[in-house]
Amino acid sequence: MSRGTAIYGAKRFVLVLVTALIVSSVTFLLVHALAGNPFTCERNPAGCAHEALVHGLDDPLIVQYRTFMWNLLHGDLGTSYVNQGVTVTPLLIREAGNSLILGLCAILVTVIVGLIVGVTAAVKQNSWIDYSLTSFVVFGYSVPSFVLATFAIIITAILLPNWSNSIGWGSPEQLPIPAIALGLPYAAVVARLVRASMLDVIRQDYVRTAWAKGLSSRVVIIRHALRNALIPVITIGGPLVTGIITGSVVIETIFGVPGLGKEFVNSILNRDYGIVVGLYTFYAMLVGLANLGVDLLYPVLDPRIRYA
Amino acid sequence: MTTITPGTPGVNVGAPAAPSGTQDATDYSIAPEQVSLWQDAWRRFRRNKLALAGMGVFGLVVVTAIVSIFWTPYSLFQEGLGDITDPASWAHPLGIDGHTRDVLSFLMKGAQIVIEVGVLTAALTSLVGIAAGLAAGFFRGWVDSLISGITYIGYGIPNLLIAFLILFITNRPSIFNVIIALSVTSWMDMARLVRGQTLALREREFVEAARATGTKDFAIMARHVLPNALGPIIVQATFLIPQAILFEAFLSFLGFGLPSPDPSWGAMVADGLNDRFLAYHTMIVPSVALLVTLMAVNFIGDGLRDALDPRLKR
Repeated sequence: MSRGTAIYGAKRFVLVLVTALIVSSVTFLLVHALAGNPFTCERNPAGCAHEALVHGLDDPLIVQYRTFMWNLLHGDLGTSYVNQGVTVTPLLIREAGNSLILGLCAILVTVIVGLIVGVTAAVKQNSWIDYSLTSFVVFGYSVPSFVLATFAIIITAILLPNWSNSIGWGSPEQLPIPAIALGLPYAAVVARLVRASMLDVIRQDYVRTAWAKGLSSRVVIIRHALRNALIPVITIGGPLVTGIITGSVVIETIFGVPGLGKEFVNSILNRDYGIVVGLYTFYAMLVGLANLGVDLLYPVLDPRIRYA
Repeated sequence: MTTITPGTPGVNVGAPAAPSGTQDATDYSIAPEQVSLWQDAWRRFRRNKLALAGMGVFGLVVVTAIVSIFWTPYSLFQEGLGDITDPASWAHPLGIDGHTRDVLSFLMKGAQIVIEVGVLTAALTSLVGIAAGLAAGFFRGWVDSLISGITYIGYGIPNLLIAFLILFITNRPSIFNVIIALSVTSWMDMARLVRGQTLALREREFVEAARATGTKDFAIMARHVLPNALGPIIVQATFLIPQAILFEAFLSFLGFGLPSPDPSWGAMVADGLNDRFLAYHTMIVPSVALLVTLMAVNFIGDGLRDALDPRLKR
């Protein structure tokens, strides 16, 4: 890593922290100022008052905000308002682990399917293979993730009736279907980019030279063409990571994966302010850091890119 | 394509792109047929069969939505019409759902929400985005810094988070709140596009001429800058429609959409998923409707882009 890259990375890291701080402040203030008391006071006025007292909701907003910020700077995102005694930080870290496993598998699906489809379509350009793969791509980026997931569930149920219930989490069998449902739409995007970029590259002189030297088609396509064709594709990295994180909200909800996405939906449905604010802070950090990581990867993969 | 500058090399080479039948009578290298930008675009759009099919499907959804305002085969509140496991019949072509109601009636009523959300969001988003983009690109300075700053921060935060925050705060799912939540998150693309176009257009001679004759800023923006940026704006607005439809379906699917009797296709898929051990049709029907509609609008958008993008002119 060059010195320029290090300085660039440090600057971006500070920016990520600032963004996370802004996101958490805005979320905290909006939720506490506008959304009202989360405890249902109609049924249990006494308990409601007690809960509000415990969570400091009767304090002036500025005092609440100061406490929240002080705890946040110590890595403490507070406690859940719905489930007694649940602290948010360890909860989110535990769930982030599950989301990470699912997300990495989905990215694996995206990369493998995207590369194979994109390269095949480019090599067989204008053949029926190309056309059918291209229509798969249009389908892939039109289909909503939850529709894909529902179809995946039906197809598994019909084709593999003995497959243990694909909804759930814990056994390795339950991993592939949500990972495919999460990764496939982005595989379509990657495939489209790879195809366009491969078509550019395989017409270049150095590829013709490689053919003329009598190299096998595998070596020409993979080592000479694909390596250069991948460079423009890397730019999808940032949006891809954001998309996987967002997409996991619906996929985790459908397949019952105890991850951040499911927690996100549940905490909002339960009006659990503590978790909502903590999760927004966590997500802002996560998206910022993931994008930073992808950006720092560029100069490693393409030496021509340099951060001065 | 409407004018030819004499002496420009290569201009008359690719000029004849006229409809067949008029070809032999005119020498296009000297005087190409005079067509307006929109006639030209329509001609190219018509050649794109997928886009035309998309128009057909979208038209069908619009007609269904209008019909469903006045008439659906059964009332949405009418229950006890049969059982979810009943096979399709003439009385219920798409079967019965898990609440013993008619699926076709719900699908028709759902088209209304699709059109409302899609079109209204696209309109509102375009309006805000165009205004912000025009202001940023035309006035530059602190206005540009402010608007570009907001877009920059907005891009760092996933749309989903912003939309959910708005729904969380308002705490009352209604079509209006859903549209607001969608618009707040999606005006930025439009603003960025319009800003870029405006930055380029404001330096052109016709804007300078307008300014020299004392035209007011607002009139320059409305009459000289905006009409010249309309092509890309229309394309972008078309792509906003499927984006909004998808997002609304997504919210409804997760249970954050419209309240219960309002039949969103996304909510129907979610209901169908719950009934998957009984029957599949309640899940497949709205899924396919959603998929076909989204693909149709995407095809229209692709067709419009090819038709209106001057760089692709043949």
